[in-house]
Amino acid sequence: MQTLVLDTSGPYTTVLIALDGNLSTACILHNRPAEHLHQQIQTSLKTVSIRPTDLDRIGIVRGPGSWTGLNIGITAAKTLSHILNIPLVPIRTLDVLVATSPKPAWALMHAGRDRCYYARHTLSGSKEIHVASIDSIDQQIRMDSSSVRVLEYGDIFQDRFRNDSRYQAVQRLFPEWLIAALKYSPCIDTESARALTPEYLQPSHAEQDIQKKLDLC
Amino acid sequence: MLILGIDTSCDDTGVAIVQDGHKVLSNVIASQYNAHERFGGVVPVIAAREHTANINFILESALSNAGVSFSDLNAVAVSHHQGLMLSLVVGVSAAKSIALACEIPLIGIHHLEGHIYSALMGRSDKIHFPFLCLTVAGGHTLLLKVISHGTYELLGHTRDDAAGEVLDKVARHLNLGYPGGAAIEKLAETGNPSAYNFPRPLMNRSDGEFSFSGLKTAVIAAIDRNPELDQADLCASFQQAIIDVLVSKTIRIARENQLSQITLAGGVALNQPLRDSLKNAASENGYDLFTPRRDLCMDNGAMVAGAAYFLYRERGANPLSIETLANAPLGTGGIRYRQKSKYK
Repeated sequence: MQTLVLDTSGPYTTVLIALDGNLSTACILHNRPAEHLHQQIQTSLKTVSIRPTDLDRIGIVRGPGSWTGLNIGITAAKTLSHILNIPLVPIRTLDVLVATSPKPAWALMHAGRDRCYYARHTLSGSKEIHVASIDSIDQQIRMDSSSVRVLEYGDIFQDRFRNDSRYQAVQRLFPEWLIAALKYSPCIDTESARALTPEYLQPSHAEQDIQKKLDLC
Repeated sequence: MLILGIDTSCDDTGVAIVQDGHKVLSNVIASQYNAHERFGGVVPVIAAREHTANINFILESALSNAGVSFSDLNAVAVSHHQGLMLSLVVGVSAAKSIALACEIPLIGIHHLEGHIYSALMGRSDKIHFPFLCLTVAGGHTLLLKVISHGTYELLGHTRDDAAGEVLDKVARHLNLGYPGGAAIEKLAETGNPSAYNFPRPLMNRSDGEFSFSGLKTAVIAAIDRNPELDQADLCASFQQAIIDVLVSKTIRIARENQLSQITLAGGVALNQPLRDSLKNAASENGYDLFTPRRDLCMDNGAMVAGAAYFLYRERGANPLSIETLANAPLGTGGIRYRQKSKYK
C-alpha cells in the first residue's frame, strides 16, 4: 500500500511516501509550504517511480499547529483524495509526538498567549487534547510520576525543564513518528474527507477579540 | 480547451469551468456572507478557514453543473496574486493539487487580470487592442490601458480608498449591513441625487488619479451631524458623487489617450446607475462601452479561467512552485499601483 504523508503543522514541512508502513522517501523543507509543498510531492513521487494514481491513501497532519500551514496542507490532501478517489488519514499533531513512546507521556505544544495544548497519553490510550495555561501544566507535570515522558513540539518549556531528564523538545515531526502515528489514526473515506478542516480547540484570536467587543456592546 | 478557474482572493470561494475562454459551463460562487456579517467586514482568518471547509464541495458542484469530470480538464487556473494572503493560499493549494493529480498545466493569474478579462469574455472579436479598462472594486479603483494580452499601462489609480471600499464603509456607518454597495444602490433608487452637494475629489484634475477617502469622511460627517437625515437622499447623493468622478475621469482619459473602446469591470460594475451613466457618456462621445455579464462582475472563478485561456498562449504554464503574493505587480511591465505608505 502506497501512502503519501504530509505535515505542514510547524516550521518544517515534511513530505514522505511509505510502502506498506515502511519509509520509501522523505523530504523535509524549511517553511514556505505554499510554494514548495506540491513541487516536493511531485519530486517524491518521481523518486520512488510512481504516479499520483498509484497512491492508495494520504495521511495528513490536521493540527493543532500553524494556521496557514494547516490550511494549505489539508486543502492539498483533501483535493488529492477527491481527485484520486482514495481515503484520507487525518493525524493529530500530539498523537505523532507520542506514537513511538514506550512509556506514558505528556505531549505538549504552544497554543499562543501563555497557553499550551496538552494530552496525557497512557499506554491504554487516553488521547483527549486540552488547552491550559503554561503555568498550570508545568505544575501538573512536576507532580506527575517519574516514569512519565514529557515530549514537546516547540520549545516554550525548554527553560522550565532544562534539568529534567524526562523532557525532550523537538522542532519537527520525524518521518518514523508520522508513519507510526498512521496506525493509531482512523481512516476516513473521500466523502467525509471533503469536510475536513484544521483541528483547533478554540476560536481564532480575531474571533475572540471581536466577540468580546460585541459582548461589551 | 476546458479550463477550471479558482478564485479565493477574498471572502468568496469561486470555482468555474470555462470552454475556450468564453463559454461558461458552470460558475459556482460560495459567499461567506453569514460568517462575516456580524463583524461588519471580512475577517481574514475566518475567510481562510471557510475556504478550506468549502473548497472541495464547490469544486464538486462546479464539475457536476458543467457535466464534466477532473479527467476532462485541459488546464487549471488560479488567482495567485493580489488579495488576502491567508485566503489565496487555499485556492492555490487546491489548484496545484489538481495540476499534480490530473497532470495538466497550472496557470497563475493576477486577480486584477481576471477582472480585466471578465469584460472581454465572449466579445474578444469586438474589442480591439488597445482599449481603456476602468476597474472598480472593493480593493482597487484604476484606469488601465490594455495594450495587448498581459501588457498594461497604468493611467490612473486611487491614492487612498477604493470606490467599493468607501461604499461599504458608508453602508456600515448607516447600519445597512455588509456588503454595502448593493444596499446603497437600492436605497438610492428612491432618493434625490442632488439633495446633498458632496465633494467630487480630484474630478477636475487632468491626470487619472482618484481619491475617495475625503468623500467618505464628508458623508460620514454629514450623517453624524444630522442622524435624522433622509437616508435615501444621502445614498443617492453619495452614489452620484462617486459616479460623477468615475465617469468624467474615464471619458477624459479615453479622449486624451485616443482610446475609443472602454470596458468596465470589478464588483462596483454591478451598480446599474454607474453602468447607465458611463454608457450614456461613452455614446455621447462616440465611444463603445463593454460591461461584463452581471455574474462575472463579483469575484468569481470564470473570469480567472477566461483570462487564463488568453494568457496561457502568451506566457505558457507556471511550475508547481508558483508563489502566492498578497500585493503583486501587474502584467509584463510589472505595474505597481498600490500606495507604498499603505502597504508596507
